[in-house]
Amino acid sequence: MVKTLGWVAAGALAAGLVMAFGVAPREVTQGNVQRIMYVHVPLILASYVAFVVLALASLVYLIRRDAGADRLAHASGEVGVMFVGLGIATGSIWGKPTWGAWWTWDARLTSVAILFVMYLGYLLLRGTIDDPERAARYCAVLGIVAALDIPLVHFSVYWWRTLHQPPSLMKPGGFTGSASILWPLLINLLAFVVLYAYFVARRVRLLRAEAEAAA
Amino acid sequence: MSYARRALTVAWKDLAVERRSKETLNALVFFSLLLLFVFQFTLGGDRERLAAVLPGVLWLGFVLSALLALGRTFLVEREHDCWEGLLLAPGDKSAIYLGKLAGNLALMLVVEGLVLGLFVVFFDIDLGRALPGLLVVVLLGTLGLAAVGTLFAAMTANVRARELLFPVLLLPVQVPVLLATVKATEALLLGEPLGAVAHWVKLLLAADVVYVVVSVLTFDVVLEG
Amino acid sequence: MPDNWGFVAAAYGLTAAVLLIYWRRLAKKEREVERLTAGRSRERLTAERGPERLTTERSREPSRTGHPRPDPDSRPPLQQ
Repeated sequence: MVKTLGWVAAGALAAGLVMAFGVAPREVTQGNVQRIMYVHVPLILASYVAFVVLALASLVYLIRRDAGADRLAHASGEVGVMFVGLGIATGSIWGKPTWGAWWTWDARLTSVAILFVMYLGYLLLRGTIDDPERAARYCAVLGIVAALDIPLVHFSVYWWRTLHQPPSLMKPGGFTGSASILWPLLINLLAFVVLYAYFVARRVRLLRAEAEAAA
Repeated sequence: MSYARRALTVAWKDLAVERRSKETLNALVFFSLLLLFVFQFTLGGDRERLAAVLPGVLWLGFVLSALLALGRTFLVEREHDCWEGLLLAPGDKSAIYLGKLAGNLALMLVVEGLVLGLFVVFFDIDLGRALPGLLVVVLLGTLGLAAVGTLFAAMTANVRARELLFPVLLLPVQVPVLLATVKATEALLLGEPLGAVAHWVKLLLAADVVYVVVSVLTFDVVLEG
Repeated sequence: MPDNWGFVAAAYGLTAAVLLIYWRRLAKKEREVERLTAGRSRERLTAERGPERLTTERSREPSRTGHPRPDPDSRPPLQQ
């Protein structure tokens, strides 16, 4: 099952790559650098999926104390942090030639950066606690606190950036909705979500094997 | 022992310990004085820049003091081998959380009052009409910090690299509180009425409710071992 | 605006590199766990066999060769 998922992910990524460079047009104002969007946006959105799964798995763990739920949360956290980190990096690389800056403190960037640091903390907490049962419990609590915090982060940052202060920079690559841009984006989004699923499935399997080996 | 009684006992115990040793209080006051001096050295001459940066620096002082205070909140239990006592406490352990929260809140508010007073005196700030609104914002913001801080302090109490992990976990989660308090303080100090920052106050209220409720519900889980 | 292909390459290259590194890390850890469980099974095997030789009683366990494997359908193998 995991192996099939892997092949599907590889296939989808290949298709996505072809579409990003073969089908998607050269953007009018930005030029070809806009093609970075086809990895940047899917990475960020897939990381959101990861964090939602983490939150739900944490809740399930707290209620049912099911080790499988904990493993799912753990794996999802790892892949989520990796994806959001890559998302931030690719966004930064995209931003430099288009905005002229590696970073700005606009609402979306700030929110995503906070997300990254929060869930990095989640992984650090996991790494610091040796007792697996305690790690599962504490991380589940942190996972829920983090998830509940996300709307608060969203609103506070949004109000900070928009009230009494107009948005100073345009976001690059807001798509016009044309099919030749939409389809590559969707295919790549699907590809990265499948890749997320593959990585998580494989990681969970590994975690279970490690737990059995330690038993 | 009733729930409320247990909570109050914990709070009273913490405050009594603090009143006797004054360890944390001293550290916090000294640290705040240090902040004051550094602030003066860098910005003292320029009143305009000072006024612009004041809300941020004030809350920086509050937050760093909070980190110090909250980081030590379970220190007494850890150092004197009372941690097992906490774990074995009968009944709903969230009473312990509320007691700790109350104690931390009291301590933090005392220090913040002191810091604010020092800032007003040394930088000749006119609080005037801003004071009631400011008190509301400070109270709500401090509650937010203390609510999550107490929970995270319990979680990190017995882990490796506790002193590093605690702020790393707390600060990102507290960004909404920090944003709301700094922006609200800024507006209030500029003379705006409390109504003008109603959205920030509402955010703080929502945050406080969420944090306290989640912490009360999950504290038992943290103190399972 | 110039195309900035360098930036495109950097973004895609970084993504590919990080994902590949993670993938290889997973594979490496899987091999380690496989080695660990295989070694553990071997230990158990020799521990079971040892007392058998000293006593005249026959062990009830069937003789095995190589690593004792549980029912192959009950557990998904790590390396597929």
